[in-house]
Amino acid sequence: MKIHDVGMAGTLESSDITIHIEDNEGKGIEIGLKSTVENQFGNQIRKVIYETLQELEVKDALVCATDKGALDCTIRSRVMTAVNRACQSNTYPWEAK
Amino acid sequence: MWDDNLREQVIQLEAEAEKRQLEDFLAKQDLALDKDVEYAIALFDGVKIAAVGCFGGKVLKCIAVEGEYQNKGLSAGIVTALINEEYRRARTHLFIYTKPQNKLIFSELGFYTIAEIPNKVILMENKSDGIIKYLAEIVGEKITTGNTAAVVVNCDPFTLGHKYLIEYAAAKTKKLHIFVVWEDRSSFPSEIRYKLVREGVQHLPNVEVHKGKDYIISNATFPSYFIKKFQDQVETHARLDLEVFSQYIVPALGIRKRFVGEEPYCKITATYNRIMQEILPAHGVKVEVVPRLTYDRQAISASRVRELIRIGEMDKVRELVPKTTYQFLISAEAEVTINQIRLTSQRH
Amino acid sequence: MSRLRRTMLYVPGNNPGMIRDVHIYGADAIMLDLEDSVSLNEKDAARMLVYNSLKTFDYGKTEVVVRVNGLNTPFGRDDLEAIVRAKPDTIRLPKTETPEDVKEADELISQIEQKIGMKHGTVKMMAAIESALGVINAYQIGIASKRLTGIAIGAEDFVTDLKTTRSLDGIELLTARSQILFAARAAGIDALDTVFSDINDEAGFTNEVKLIKQLGFDGKSIINPRQIEIVHRIFTPTEAEVKKSTRIIEAIKEAESKGSGVISLNGKMIDKPIVERARRVLQLADAAKIFVK
Repeated sequence: MKIHDVGMAGTLESSDITIHIEDNEGKGIEIGLKSTVENQFGNQIRKVIYETLQELEVKDALVCATDKGALDCTIRSRVMTAVNRACQSNTYPWEAK
Repeated sequence: MWDDNLREQVIQLEAEAEKRQLEDFLAKQDLALDKDVEYAIALFDGVKIAAVGCFGGKVLKCIAVEGEYQNKGLSAGIVTALINEEYRRARTHLFIYTKPQNKLIFSELGFYTIAEIPNKVILMENKSDGIIKYLAEIVGEKITTGNTAAVVVNCDPFTLGHKYLIEYAAAKTKKLHIFVVWEDRSSFPSEIRYKLVREGVQHLPNVEVHKGKDYIISNATFPSYFIKKFQDQVETHARLDLEVFSQYIVPALGIRKRFVGEEPYCKITATYNRIMQEILPAHGVKVEVVPRLTYDRQAISASRVRELIRIGEMDKVRELVPKTTYQFLISAEAEVTINQIRLTSQRH
Repeated sequence: MSRLRRTMLYVPGNNPGMIRDVHIYGADAIMLDLEDSVSLNEKDAARMLVYNSLKTFDYGKTEVVVRVNGLNTPFGRDDLEAIVRAKPDTIRLPKTETPEDVKEADELISQIEQKIGMKHGTVKMMAAIESALGVINAYQIGIASKRLTGIAIGAEDFVTDLKTTRSLDGIELLTARSQILFAARAAGIDALDTVFSDINDEAGFTNEVKLIKQLGFDGKSIINPRQIEIVHRIFTPTEAEVKKSTRIIEAIKEAESKGSGVISLNGKMIDKPIVERARRVLQLADAAKIFVK
């Protein structure tokens, strides 16, 4: 999927994560993360974001994420929603292939 | 979470009762409902409002949380909902003017500070490089060194008075940058005003015209819902705009001087000019006030021109504007705007 | 015998913090909501969150229900496409007015089950009735699909449809509750009551639960974990009821061991409804052992 616009999903409530995604002008995937558990889970969070983008076949994205203790499935969900909003589409994981 | 029971609901601004409830709520927080608010969302506890947030165009405003509900992170929820709705409307470059104590909430939501007047106001945008990109646009390819100056104008429309001011300034500097204030509360739309300025100064080789866009702040669109006293609003606006100007535009272009037309009529502009003369010299920028060009012993002003347009005295208009402006005014393209002017009767 | 649904704990579908914890409170069922508790702008986000959560969390014995948006909204179809794939136990249809509403959803679910190779009929349905027309059609709704295991009343929208408001004693809901109950019993499915919004009014809530239990309802939707214990307590059988039911079950065993076709206790014949009720009492007693010593 190619990102045209800006997309945002998630809230700042506890256990959630806000994902802000926009096109990265051919520079690949860049992830900026703000998290209170950066030390223990920062890499894990980035990994989940990255893998979800790969699943959706997004090659180019600038991601800004603010984490409030989200579980992996929440991260996945918010990334998928943000990408769909940024592309104005409604692609589901089982359709993307 | 389970005990929250707060319900998010969009407020129907066209419904008198709902709008009144919103205004009453804001009034209790010492805030006013800005006139250009086009969307408002609230968190309700039963039928009572706990928190609200609004936007007008790309500016988020009128965000407040009732006392007993504070410190629960409600404003984050409101702001997220506002941002989502703006994105849905394809507006992704957003701004917020708010009290400085709200800085943290907005920076958590991806907003970056542009400028701050301590204890008064902070201006933020949701891009880390918004103003940087704007500066890159206006600097263009070459950077001039030496005697560089700026003029900020509204030009609603471009008159002989503006032309005089600009020619005066251009003659006294190596390079003159003109910034056209960008808002559509004026009678003439921003793009038209910009066009008329460009056409009106094309005979001057050392002049460049820029669109003010989001970074020259118009008093007309400065959200003042959180400032009670009118004079305080006017001053705070002036300080903020001058802060952005001196912090960003001045160093980017190497501006040493700012020219401004003398303001005999408008109190708001007069206040602005006074504060400008207070602040800019400290940033290495001299201010020169240029007396207005007169015609028939009256200072030429854009509002006079609009008034003449309104009453249909186009011959008199011709005496006050350059040919380029007049050509536009009598063209088909200007019809819509002229009709609208004829339907209203405001001074500014 | 069908599973217990004394309590159905309602969770807004766009709230990850609430979704992750919801099953620890001990409700018989949880309902993840994509409908009224989710704003229009967040329907897509909630759908994705509930989908991913269902695929991740193991809710154990708790029944997992998802309330989708109606098929007459722009969201209903997408909700079903996503959620069925995540295999909830039950899909709850809002604002059901006619048996056609049920059949339409049933058809869609069947298509999706087939697409993904799931056995036909795996995902069950529940219909919420929230209007006068729905109440009038309650029986037809109840028998409209083999998937349908229960009908519920949704009072907020219902009283609006009736052009009245909710009161503490609930007189305005009396007929609707009764009709829905009759329909459920005639159709052989569960009847569930509506939410009680004032979580601070424990007395009012208790009265309402007693009322609906007396009317014959199988359970109630709840919006706060604090309400669970009250409901379970009221639905706990008395010692006398438990004793009587135990004897009935013993009588059955005795009759079976003797090869007798007729079951009797104390000189009276025991027929099917009595047996079913006895079984249900023991099921409730069993569940209540968690709370009652």
